[in-house]
Amino acid sequence: MALLSEKDAQYVRGFFDEHLENPVEILLFTAAEGDELAARKNPYLKETEELIKTVAGLSDKLSLTIYRRGTDDETFEAYGIREVPATVLQGPGGIDYGIRFYGIPAGYEFRTLMEDLVDVSRGTTSLSEKTKEALQSLAVDAHIQVFVTPTCPYCPKAVRIAHQFAIESPRVRADMVEATEFPDWSQKYGVFGVPKTVINDVEEIEGAVPEEFVLEALLRATAVKA
Amino acid sequence: MSTANGREAALENGVADLEGGIVPISLGFGLSAEAEGEELLEEAEPYDVAIIGGGPAGLSAAIYTARAGLRTVVIDKSAYAGALGLTDRIENYPGVPGPISGVELLSIFRRQAESFGAQILQETVLTVDPFQEPMEVGTTQRVLYARRLIVATGTMGRKASIPGEAELLGKGVSYCATCDGAFFRGRPVAVIGDNEEAVSEARFLTRFAEPVYFIPRGRKVRAPEAELEELRRHPKVVWKEGVKVREILGNGKVTGVRLAGPEGEEVLPVEGAFVYLQGNQPILDFFPPGQGPEQTPEGCVKVNEEMESSIPGVYVVGDLVCHRVRQAVFAAADGVMAALAVERSLSGRKSLRAAW
Repeated sequence: MALLSEKDAQYVRGFFDEHLENPVEILLFTAAEGDELAARKNPYLKETEELIKTVAGLSDKLSLTIYRRGTDDETFEAYGIREVPATVLQGPGGIDYGIRFYGIPAGYEFRTLMEDLVDVSRGTTSLSEKTKEALQSLAVDAHIQVFVTPTCPYCPKAVRIAHQFAIESPRVRADMVEATEFPDWSQKYGVFGVPKTVINDVEEIEGAVPEEFVLEALLRATAVKA
Repeated sequence: MSTANGREAALENGVADLEGGIVPISLGFGLSAEAEGEELLEEAEPYDVAIIGGGPAGLSAAIYTARAGLRTVVIDKSAYAGALGLTDRIENYPGVPGPISGVELLSIFRRQAESFGAQILQETVLTVDPFQEPMEVGTTQRVLYARRLIVATGTMGRKASIPGEAELLGKGVSYCATCDGAFFRGRPVAVIGDNEEAVSEARFLTRFAEPVYFIPRGRKVRAPEAELEELRRHPKVVWKEGVKVREILGNGKVTGVRLAGPEGEEVLPVEGAFVYLQGNQPILDFFPPGQGPEQTPEGCVKVNEEMESSIPGVYVVGDLVCHRVRQAVFAAADGVMAALAVERSLSGRKSLRAAW
C-alpha cells in the first residue's frame, strides 16, 4: 500500500515546486538490510524508509542517500546518529544545520518535514530578528530534543521552532523524537505528554509554547553549561 | 513504565494493525484519531469567509454570507459546547416559541446555514495566521484558506483550576488524548469533564488505558446519546457519578485524583488525568502569541461598528465582544452585522448601506 495517496502526492509535489529553491540532500540512517532484530525493535523502520524515498521522489531538487548500520558506521559517527531510523536534511553545499528526525515523520509531523525542507532549501526561517540575533551569539552548544507522537496536532509547532533554531545557529542541534518508537529515551526524560522539549538535559518545556519561551529556556540551559 | 508497555503492544500488534490508533502510517498530512481513515487534506481553493465557532453568532453570520453567495465554512468543535449548547430551556428566542433546548435551537440555525450552502466542519481550530493573504486556518484535520475571518468562539475557555493540574501538566495531566493516550497503555486514567469532547476523548482512551474512570463532576453529560450510551456500556470505563474532583495528586508524576462525594472522600489511583472542562475565558488561543486582536483590560475584544477587530479582515462577534447581556439574539445580530461587512468588503463597496 502506498504511504501517500496519489492525491496527497500530487499536492506535495506542487508544494515543493512552488516553495523549494536550492537543492536539499536527505540523509536517511537506518539498520542494515535484513536486520530482523532492528525491524522488530522498531516496527516503523521500513515505513520510514519507504516514506522518505517517496518524498525524495517528489521533486528534482531533493536527493536521498541511505546509510546503513554496519557498512556506514563512520558516517553515523560523523553525524552523531544515536539511533535508527534517523533523517537529516542538508542544505546546499552539504551544510548540516543540525536538523534530526528520530523515528517516522508521519501524521502531523509530515507537515513539519515538508516545511523544514523548504527552510533548508532557502536557508531562511520565520523566526523573529531578536531570536535570530540571540541564537547567532550563542557561545556554547545546545542540544534540543522535542518528543512527539504522530497523532499530536500541537507538536509540529514545537518541532518547527527547534529545527528553525538549528538552522539559525551552528551551535544548535535539534532532534524530533517520535516518543513511542524510542521508549528508553521517553522513560529517561519522563515523557507522559507531548510535545515535550528538553534542552541540554537541564531545561524542560511541556507543551507547545511561543518562540520567546523556547529561547529563554535555551539561554538558561546554555548558561548552566557555560 | 507505560511507554515500555506501549512498545510491547506495538510489537505484538505488528505494523498492519497499527493504523487503528497508535501511529498513523498510511496518510499524508496526519490522521486524527476520530478521522477514521479520512486523510488530512489541504483545501487549496480559498473560502471567501471562514467562521470559527458554531453558536448563534457564527451560524447567523454563515446564514447571511452563504445566502449572499460567498463560499462559507463554519468550524465548530461541538454543538454541545458553548453557552447556548449548554442551555436546556429557551422560551424567548424571537420567532421560536419553544420551549426548546439550546442544542435543538442550534440545529435549526445549522440547517438554515447549510441550506444556503455553508459547509460545517466538526473540527477544532488550532492555528490562525491572519497576516497572510489569504488567511491560513489550521484545524485538527486540515489546513484551509479564507479571505476573511469571523471569530465567534465565545468565552467558555478556561485556565488550569484544579489543585495539582498546572503543576502536573505533561506529567500525567493532559488535554489531548490523541496526543498522549499511547503513554498510558494498560494503565488507569481519569477523564474529567461533562461535554462531548470528554466523551469522545474517553472513548479514544479505551484503546490504550484501563480502566478509564469517567468523572462528570456530578453534572449531566452533554453529548450525542449514541456516544454516551457506548461509553456507559464500555467494559473498560468506570463511571464516577455524583462526585467532585478536589485535587490531582502526584509528585513529579500523577498518582491519583482525590474525589469528594456524599459518602466522603476517596482517592482513585490513576497515572493520567485528562481534563476537559469549560470556564469563562475568551477563546482566542489559536492566534499567534501576542498577535491576537486587541482586547480591553477586562478581556473583551475591541471591534468597530462593523465588528471588525484591530486585525484587518478579522471580525469578532458574540460573547467575545462583551455585550451588557449575554443573549443569543445579541450574538446572532453581531454575526449578521459582521456577515454584511464581510460581503461589502469583498465586493469592494465602500460603505454599508441600509439594507432590508
